Amino acid sequence: MVSGSDSPGNGFEPKILVFACNWCSYAGADLAGVSRLQMPPNCRVIRVMCSARVRPEFVITALSKGLDGVLVLGCHPGDCHYSEGNYFTRRRGLLLRKLLEFVGIEPERFQVRWVSASEGAKFAETVEQVTEQIRALGPNRPRSEVLGTEPGDR
Amino acid sequence: MQDKLQEVVRKLLAEGAVDYFIGYCQSSQPYRAVPCFVSDESEVGKLVWGPLCGQNLSKYVLRANELDGKVGILLKGCDTRAVVELIKQHQIERDKIVAIGVPCQGQVDHRKLGKILGVSLEQVTSVQDVGDEFLVTVGEETKKVRKEEVLLDKCFRCKHPSAFGYDVTLGDVVPFTVDADAGEYAAVEELEALPIEERRAFWRKQFERCIRCNACREACYACYCKECLFERKTPRWLAAPPLLSENEMYHLIRAVHLAGRCVDCGECERVCPMNIPLGSLYRKIQKDVAELFDYEAGMEMDTVPPLVNFELDDQDPFM
Repeated sequence: MVSGSDSPGNGFEPKILVFACNWCSYAGADLAGVSRLQMPPNCRVIRVMCSARVRPEFVITALSKGLDGVLVLGCHPGDCHYSEGNYFTRRRGLLLRKLLEFVGIEPERFQVRWVSASEGAKFAETVEQVTEQIRALGPNRPRSEVLGTEPGDR
Repeated sequence: MQDKLQEVVRKLLAEGAVDYFIGYCQSSQPYRAVPCFVSDESEVGKLVWGPLCGQNLSKYVLRANELDGKVGILLKGCDTRAVVELIKQHQIERDKIVAIGVPCQGQVDHRKLGKILGVSLEQVTSVQDVGDEFLVTVGEETKKVRKEEVLLDKCFRCKHPSAFGYDVTLGDVVPFTVDADAGEYAAVEELEALPIEERRAFWRKQFERCIRCNACREACYACYCKECLFERKTPRWLAAPPLLSENEMYHLIRAVHLAGRCVDCGECERVCPMNIPLGSLYRKIQKDVAELFDYEAGMEMDTVPPLVNFELDDQDPFM
């Protein structure tokens, strides 16, 4: 789970983890796909039942294991399939963003966005924007720091 | 006050009102008191109260759930915040404990004391509270130490829950005040003012030293999970060796778990063998929770914890 290259500008391509909610954002991603919208290939999408399923631990772990950015996508506030899940996501997102910034992790590396099932174009746009921002930042942490932390590596 | 405490506890035990009582007793090291459990009247004489009782005893009341009877506990105003949170988080029932409130005039940070005295703490034989000063006996000598110099950091921002119904009080339990120049979140604000790269460098230096002994977790009243995430085998979140990247993860996860729970008791910093300024990390979360959600842990019984609650008009920078 380490990024491809260490030096920005030298062909650095970030690895970005996307959590997409099953009901809105994953459908939005699907729509972007069937609409044949062009997007950078840096994102790995994990489907979750609700954006509130994304525990802050997931984000912190991803960043500490060497991923360059995490993007959490959920339904627009008020549109949650479970009525109120994304309101909790919003509160956690607010807190986590500030905490990460406090320990020196650029806030661009963890982003939350609302993407509905009909917003295929917004999905593509978001992915492009976030990839661009993170590419400009460079790798999250040196490769050497995360190598050897996977059980298979020992 | 110590006599009054012993008298109250003796009565509680004699009446059978509590199975045992959690308080402080003198440790083998004269410069500090340690938690002690008294279940028999003959042991009541062990109980002490003074300026060396900085520990937060509230973690121990969790055991009361396993008893048929009740547990008595000595609570400083600041420790009461932890008990309030435990009740709110349904970890303990109010009627399982007999809370004895004790007025506190500030507690000694033995690390600061050692630094100021410049001698080994083993030579300190007693510390007495005399108003604005502590009388510290070192060997034959008695020295006066100004309170501001040796108080625990938390004492400078002493806060008590409003209207906690103690079963017994040993005096008026009111927040202790000292004239402090620093603001409530001074240490956090100082770090916030640094450029982001310097903050990263600072925290990396701190986390690098962590030996992952888990002392902060063990001492934390809010870490009451029966099975800790970090101990899970499948999936395994952390490997055993204390690598920097995983240390960072450990502390950040602990910090988010403490959001809306941390009551600033300072136990994490006190027990840390590597002197990592964990307090600043958790204070940051406390500050954000207060600013964003207007919530302060352990201060009121009837408010809803911030992360199991939401407002329709919460800030939304996420678009």
